[in-house]
Amino acid sequence: MIYLLDPLIYLLIYGFLLTAIMGLIASWIDRKVTARVQYRVGPPLLQPLIDIIKLLGKETLIPEGASKITFLMAPIIGFSGVVLVSTILWINNIDPTKSFMGDLIVVLYLLVVPSISIIMGGFASRNPLASLGASREMKLIMGYELPFILAVLVPVIHTHSIRLGNIVSYQATNGIFIGSLSGFLAWIVVILCVQAKLALVPFDMPEAETEIVGGPLIEYSGSGLAVYRLMKNMMLFTLPFFVMILFMGGWKFEGIYSLTGLLKYIGVVAIITVIRNTNPRVRIDQAVKFFWGPMTIIAIIAVILAFLGK
Amino acid sequence: MKREEIIKGIKNKFKNDIIEVFDKSPARVYIEIKPESIVEIAQYVFKDLGARFNIASGVDLRNHMEILYHFLIEDINLLISLRVKLDKSKLEIDSLANIIEATNWIEREMWELLGITFKGHPDMRKLLLSDDWPKGVYPLRADYKEWDKKAIRDRGVK
Amino acid sequence: MSVKLKALLKSPWVFHLSTGSCNNCDIEILDCLTPRFDIERFGMLLASSIRHADVLLVTGSGNRKSMEIVKRLYEQMPKPGLVVAIGECAMSRGMFIHSYNCPVPIDKIIPVDVYIPGCPPKPEAIIAGVVKLIEKLNKRK
Repeated sequence: MIYLLDPLIYLLIYGFLLTAIMGLIASWIDRKVTARVQYRVGPPLLQPLIDIIKLLGKETLIPEGASKITFLMAPIIGFSGVVLVSTILWINNIDPTKSFMGDLIVVLYLLVVPSISIIMGGFASRNPLASLGASREMKLIMGYELPFILAVLVPVIHTHSIRLGNIVSYQATNGIFIGSLSGFLAWIVVILCVQAKLALVPFDMPEAETEIVGGPLIEYSGSGLAVYRLMKNMMLFTLPFFVMILFMGGWKFEGIYSLTGLLKYIGVVAIITVIRNTNPRVRIDQAVKFFWGPMTIIAIIAVILAFLGK
Repeated sequence: MKREEIIKGIKNKFKNDIIEVFDKSPARVYIEIKPESIVEIAQYVFKDLGARFNIASGVDLRNHMEILYHFLIEDINLLISLRVKLDKSKLEIDSLANIIEATNWIEREMWELLGITFKGHPDMRKLLLSDDWPKGVYPLRADYKEWDKKAIRDRGVK
Repeated sequence: MSVKLKALLKSPWVFHLSTGSCNNCDIEILDCLTPRFDIERFGMLLASSIRHADVLLVTGSGNRKSMEIVKRLYEQMPKPGLVVAIGECAMSRGMFIHSYNCPVPIDKIIPVDVYIPGCPPKPEAIIAGVVKLIEKLNKRK
């Protein structure tokens, strides 16, 4: 049974615990920077953790006529998707030889699972506003998946391999991808697609707060909502980590490199927060036009430049 | 058209229907008319003079009930109020809802709260009061009595 | 004090409901959320749906039509929860005590924990009332 111990450690400690702690700290950074930009004091450091503990202590109410099993399983499915993705990313970051061939494709598939769990939860709630929010989320996924996959092709073309471990090792010897022109364009496209995947302004129309009263999560209370919030906070760590591994060389934990890795991570989170604070919310048709128009064109230009070797 | 021309025009056209004209100030004039001729005069003021229908107000006075229809001519800043006096034993008047669309809801509110019947109204149903309000009880009348046994009307302190 | 109540007092999410008010109290509640009297430093957020809320802020004298809605919303709020009545109209109907449309005060329909008087109360008064509620709950358990 001793051979099960290693992946279990990776799953529980790196995949779940470390990601949860870093995700809660990232959520606190986001809220504090937002508060400072709006000229006020923000919440204390442990606020996101206290939110989740409080939600676990409230009762869970299931609306009448909703499908009970789907309603209760949807947050757990999304949560397990995020835990698996972060486990794969941590394994690649710490020891690039331990991963398997094609894990980039597995990560791209698993990253859709949290968004699908929100759609499941929305449609299982038997509420017209929740269905409206879930259908908007579906259209948004169809919008940003195209430029996202095209932009992720750029590191694959440079390193001629679809193993994440090879991408990390290539950047250690040949310079990080964001320095080249194709890598920089692809990085811009990926940052905006990450903004849409996290459902942050300007692409937060699935969960518009005042317009459709909370969107797909309108009927969730208690532990279901706690798992959803934890899943969103962990996504706030996992997606910038993914961007770092693909374009900025990962996070090495030796000597001075751990500090520069921390600064890179905080930089990506700060860019996401600043975009969040300075933009209004767009409509769903404007968002889909934006992703299938300018973003796809920039991604195609980046792929062509990567083929030419730049 | 100037203010004096408008008032003289109304007086000349409807000689038999006007009971009294009261020039209150440069901006307001009250014209009291007979209840049977409200549709004609309202149509003249709305369509021919180009006035805008503002609101209608209903009052419960000691011996009779009154309805005032307020029309506004904005270019010369004139508010024309047509006053109709109704006998308390016969609270009926023709509805203006077929000519002026804006009077639809205010006539529903006057029927619901004061009990005035509007003949010919296309869609007379309740507007403001709750579903468990008894029929035939009109709250804004002077002789309204409390019908709810479960209401609490003191503040609970001695 | 139990962990549940401690966590509830450190991150109460508020839901704002108006049962037929003149909107002055609603404007003063909105003032509390502005950067001048920032309430996010106490962990309070404006909850978008009643199922996410811990504290129900009620304003306005209860109409006959809105009394059924207030009762239904109170049952939809997941317990443990608190109710705060803001303004004179929510406390005892204020000057509308003899009105034909407000038969009973709100605290005969749902249990109220804190009353904040004023017409309308200033944002400092609202914050002082909420602080008194938190101290009372801290001392009880």
